[in-house]
Amino acid sequence: MIKKTLLVLVILGSFNSCVVVKEYEKVYLNDPDMVLADKKINKFETSFQVYREAASGANGGKSGGGCGCN
Amino acid sequence: MKKQISILVLMISFYGFSQNATNTYTKRVLENTEVDLISSFYGQDGDNAAVTGGIGTEKLTDIASTITVSIPLNANDIFTIDATISAYSSASSSNLNPFDASGASRGGDDDDEEDDNKSAKKNVAGRVNGSPWVESSGASKGDVWVNGDIGYSHSSENRNSIIGANVSFAKEFDYTSIGLGGNFTKLFNEKNTEIGLKANIYMDSWQPAYPTEIISYKEVNNNLNDGFFEGVDILDQKGSIINKTGNTVWSPFNTSLVENKSRNTYSASLSFSQILSKKAQISIFLDIVQQNGWLANPMQRVYFGDRANYYIGNASSISNYTSSKNTDVFQLADDIERLPDTRFKIPVGARLNQYINENIAIRTYYRYYTDDWGMKSHTASIELPIKFSLGKFTLYPNYRFYNQTASDYFAPFESHLSSSDYYTSDYDLSKFNSHQYGLGFKYTDIFAKLKVFKFGLKSFDLRYSYYDRSDGLQASIVSAGIKFVMD
Repeated sequence: MIKKTLLVLVILGSFNSCVVVKEYEKVYLNDPDMVLADKKINKFETSFQVYREAASGANGGKSGGGCGCN
Repeated sequence: MKKQISILVLMISFYGFSQNATNTYTKRVLENTEVDLISSFYGQDGDNAAVTGGIGTEKLTDIASTITVSIPLNANDIFTIDATISAYSSASSSNLNPFDASGASRGGDDDDEEDDNKSAKKNVAGRVNGSPWVESSGASKGDVWVNGDIGYSHSSENRNSIIGANVSFAKEFDYTSIGLGGNFTKLFNEKNTEIGLKANIYMDSWQPAYPTEIISYKEVNNNLNDGFFEGVDILDQKGSIINKTGNTVWSPFNTSLVENKSRNTYSASLSFSQILSKKAQISIFLDIVQQNGWLANPMQRVYFGDRANYYIGNASSISNYTSSKNTDVFQLADDIERLPDTRFKIPVGARLNQYINENIAIRTYYRYYTDDWGMKSHTASIELPIKFSLGKFTLYPNYRFYNQTASDYFAPFESHLSSSDYYTSDYDLSKFNSHQYGLGFKYTDIFAKLKVFKFGLKSFDLRYSYYDRSDGLQASIVSAGIKFVMD
């Protein structure tokens, strides 16, 4: 567990060394297909996965509750 | 005194100066009102229905629609309203009362579950039958789920922090949910780094519905010659009619039903996003979820391997009970599923999106999940947006892999022991893996030239996915979405 935590911290720390991207350089990053979240069109697909599978959450959306599902 | 007044005037003048100095143009968080409409059709089939104890048809169809309206209240604030309606028809849910399809209870069905239970006594002895493989006609065969969500978000002037809150309500025939949530996002490092915090509480409650034979048994005070059971033959494993006043008769293992009808969920989420380059960004999510209350589904039957089996229906079909050839005999349940009243879940996920060139990007996602019911799972997905005609059209081939270990409380049909504290035969809690293949299509018009009243069409989405689970469950879903922007 400690090793995993250290690994995550090292990875996070390494991000700080990344070059800072200016606002005017974010043309690709601002593309809707680059959004770091589930797309709206996937709403019902994600719902059926929540019903049919035990795992849910950690995708920027709902992580449980609100339905009689698992 | 003069000095004090001078200092005050000086300070006020500084304030006024600073106001003018920061009076620069700030882009509105949302320029115009946006409306998103999404509809979907979902269908599935399989052989492991949880309502009938882990065997039986899982045929289900669902039609759902949602509308989301996002309204900019001013340059910094957005108000969002979301309404969803979902109507399903489920063969396995219909078998909450599997005896509906039998002769006498068919005619004049008013879709009232209570009357359906009582109507069985009108049947001629031996004519009452049902099967886990045949859809019944009772009230529970379909339902409508409605959901409403209202949200508000405020962005700071420099757009480096966002705070939001939402309330939600959901209702279906046996379940009600009220949710409250709050979130806070902080951007820094020239908006290259983002940290988000989110908390939600769902205060849910069951209006429990039970398998017909179990609730009827309780209603008639264990008298198998009264109510639902009056005039109905009960058969043993050999197909012989039992003496209902004898010593060896069918009875539910546990006649205490749902004692605590509440189910509360508390979740906290932490997210971290980082721009890696002009063409790549990553995010990491950690959720912590605690659930308390009645976490089992009272509709779902369990059959124990160490208790005698009893049936209603055609004696000659008992030998084929677990086969889909069985259309006219139903095994009486030993109990409803029982699960612990707490559950602690930890999912950890990450997204990595990379722009390859003008036409292709890669969207990837991975999640590891663990909980204190003994379940662990891995989810991995990849999507490849391919743009045509300068981004006007996009294709989205995608693939998703999922696997999970079984819950400590899962066992198949007739495999549980009655000495266990907790038991379920719900295959959604079993060990399996699944593959999902999909293709999406999107039309985008950044100028929203096509008008419908005051709204311009910004984009149109169409998506199809096929889901194949290792236990035989197969599903398909088609979703269509339209986004409008108000002029």
